[in-house]
Amino acid sequence: MTQFLSYAIPGLPYGCVFALMAVGLVLTYQTSGVFNLAYGAQAYASALIFYVCVNAGWPSWAGFLVAVAVVAPLLGLAMDRFLYRFIRSAPVLVKLVSALGMLIAIPSALQLIFGNQQRLAPPSLWLPPSSVYFHVAGDAINGTELSTVIVTLAVVLLASLMSHFTQIGLRMRAMAESPRMVQLAGINSELVGIAIWVLSSFLAGLAGVLLAPLFADLQALNFTDLLVAAIAASALGSLTSLPLAFWGGIGLGVVQELLGGYLPSGSVLSSGLRPALPFAVLIVLLLALPGLRERWFHDDPLAGCDPPPPPMATTIGGYGLEGFLRAGSWTLLAVFFVSCLTWVPGNWTFTLTQGLAYSIVFLSIVLLTGMSGQISLCQASFAGIGAFTCAQLASHFGVSVLVGIVAGGAVAALVGVVVALPALRLGGLALALATLAFGLLADNVGFQFAWSGNGNSGVNIPRPQLGSINFTSGKAFFVLAFVALVVCSAVVLAIRKGTTGRELAAMRGSELAAASIGTNLVKLKITVFAVAAALAGVGGALYGSLQGTVSPDDFNSLLSLVFMVVVVTTGVYTVEGAIQAGMAYVILYQVLDYLPSQWRNLFPILFGLGAITYALHPEGVVEWQRRRVVEIVVDWRKHPEAVG
Amino acid sequence: MALVEACGISKRFGGIVALDDVSIVVEKGEAVGLVGPNGAGKTALFDCLNGVRHFDSGEVRFEGRRIDRLPVYQRARLGIGRTFQRLELFAGMSPREHLMVAERVHRADGRLWKDLIGRGRARATVARVEELLVELGLEEVADHPIETLSQGHGRLVELGRALIQDPLLLLLDEPASGLDTRETAAFATILLEVRARRRTAMLVVEHDLDLVRRVVERIYVLDFGKLIASGRVDDVLAEPVVRRAYLGDVT
Repeated sequence: MTQFLSYAIPGLPYGCVFALMAVGLVLTYQTSGVFNLAYGAQAYASALIFYVCVNAGWPSWAGFLVAVAVVAPLLGLAMDRFLYRFIRSAPVLVKLVSALGMLIAIPSALQLIFGNQQRLAPPSLWLPPSSVYFHVAGDAINGTELSTVIVTLAVVLLASLMSHFTQIGLRMRAMAESPRMVQLAGINSELVGIAIWVLSSFLAGLAGVLLAPLFADLQALNFTDLLVAAIAASALGSLTSLPLAFWGGIGLGVVQELLGGYLPSGSVLSSGLRPALPFAVLIVLLLALPGLRERWFHDDPLAGCDPPPPPMATTIGGYGLEGFLRAGSWTLLAVFFVSCLTWVPGNWTFTLTQGLAYSIVFLSIVLLTGMSGQISLCQASFAGIGAFTCAQLASHFGVSVLVGIVAGGAVAALVGVVVALPALRLGGLALALATLAFGLLADNVGFQFAWSGNGNSGVNIPRPQLGSINFTSGKAFFVLAFVALVVCSAVVLAIRKGTTGRELAAMRGSELAAASIGTNLVKLKITVFAVAAALAGVGGALYGSLQGTVSPDDFNSLLSLVFMVVVVTTGVYTVEGAIQAGMAYVILYQVLDYLPSQWRNLFPILFGLGAITYALHPEGVVEWQRRRVVEIVVDWRKHPEAVG
Repeated sequence: MALVEACGISKRFGGIVALDDVSIVVEKGEAVGLVGPNGAGKTALFDCLNGVRHFDSGEVRFEGRRIDRLPVYQRARLGIGRTFQRLELFAGMSPREHLMVAERVHRADGRLWKDLIGRGRARATVARVEELLVELGLEEVADHPIETLSQGHGRLVELGRALIQDPLLLLLDEPASGLDTRETAAFATILLEVRARRRTAMLVVEHDLDLVRRVVERIYVLDFGKLIASGRVDDVLAEPVVRRAYLGDVT
């Protein structure tokens, strides 16, 4: 018993933070219909600002006022007013990608403002972190832990008193039941909505400030993990119950520490499984709770009362310019190919080759999300599986790298089949979260073994060789990657034009109707996940061979999110979109490389903000601009005098 | 042998008995109506017939063969087509694409390798699709995105999507809901033409009794999950028990 307690009690502070976040998430999801994935970034923002204030010599209460009571609510309110408010009844993908964009952009923007140096020993909110107050069951309770628990309990007590004994609290609870009914009852629901955003953002900020000192340094990544733990906790409450979400959070924190205590220390299991627990819990819950599945399947609490979004723009046509545009793209492609082999400097050829490899990975997102409507947030992990398979085969078994690349695709496809199994039962947001959890599992456990990603040291992949042809030189490898991209694009195009592509589009439109016309959804989903994973695997293996060495960090889950945002922003419905995304991704990165290191943070900010354009222009930025140009040309043809 | 035969179907949702020992039969080429107040279990019965829901007890035979264990898509391939009360259309696709995909699935063209070697495209499809678009009067809107079309067009697209698969049995779930009087009449005419041309058997759930009278030969009446009457349309609708279910107690 004493041992049990001594393991369980250190989990309480983590549990408190999870619980605060979970409560805030449920609150906003219930009332606004937006699953606010940027919540983790909000927590990070407050933690960072608190750190900066305290390090500038401010007393911690002043830092708290600024970071948690002012900045956090303002940030949340700004997101609601300028973004979420407009997309409440939009399709899941729109909401998800907008929130992901914020999740990626906010930490980078903060680092751009405050610098991206390492921040050690984040300050405690209230009691001094190092002094020990008392012992419980042999555990020394220090100031950080004590203040986390006390502050959480106080805030939760206050919040529940408010919600039960004040007018605004009553209205908030009514909002959580039905936002539309609150309006019909003559209450200004926008005002109540604002109050809820303020409250939940305050909770996020508080959670961030409380969590920071539990880690050795302040890192944005910790807050993404925190977010997933909070999602798992709120899933325990089926995303509806605030008390269940709260106790779910506490329980998760405690169980996590218990696992750490009872598992053999030093093994990959204990170092990997402990942080991965929330993700595993989330996957299990998503699959096991039928209520949760139904709920997420039917997408959002406001469905059925808000009008459907406007139809997606269809392809342009009827202007008589198609032939011209097609010829233009082929010419561009030829110029690009010849240029890379002739006058483009070596480091740029390298960059563009990277772009080709990324394009192949991005094709998997086009196939899976654009063409089939399945939102997967673990495509970088599939790329990793491809790369590590190829690397292990080549460096330990002497297999030819070209064979390794194909084998990488094959192994990724097998894992894709496994990931497709939850997809058979989940859709929309639930699938996105399950795949995100899978990606985090791969990061924390799967890629840590010596036989897989080999932890931080990584694995080597040589450049391939085919008979007498050696792909060691940059230009030769460029040709190889180019050919691979052409083959992969051809595969996706063939699927798109064939019956499978139409069935995928039908499934994206309505699974019920697709089944009713005789589509075998089980087979179709497994197929599309496998093919997409194979594409990502081949792309990842090529990328690895280009780099020479790969480590799990090259394929972490955050990258999966970035990939999704980049592709969706550039154009998720077409093969060209994937290629443009791949190229834009590396070219922008290379250009920013010429700037001072701090400015490299512009990269995620640009794509994060770009994600917002998706809500208005689902066809993607490139296609949107192309249409504008076409329209101007057509106008000019019809009325040359009006333009000139 | 009856085309479809449902024997003693029962289905509970928690404490509610949605279907209580319901048995119905549809012969080949026959049009049958299924009426009853809202919540009587009509759509639940449809769901059990085409496999969207599993039922607790009873059995369903199609051409003499037990089909209760088959998934939705296999029942569709056997020849059970269906439309939906709340339209289930493929967002982002045009009416022509709706028919195209249904036709291809029907010909079991959905093999990935066929697509990869470019064999997935066939000329015959196009002609059949065009023909049906004209038959349903959809040729003018054939290339519009489905979201921009009216409810009436949506119902026709759903009908066409089912018809192009040459179903033996067509389950129509409230085809007239959301249509005005003129559209309903036009829809009934189209259904009659379809019957005259293809001899497709139909089971029609509908509140619009004019449409029911025009299209079907006999009806079943469901109330609170129980079959309360069946027979020729006018005889059944005149029965006191049916009038009570529909109109409340009439003294």
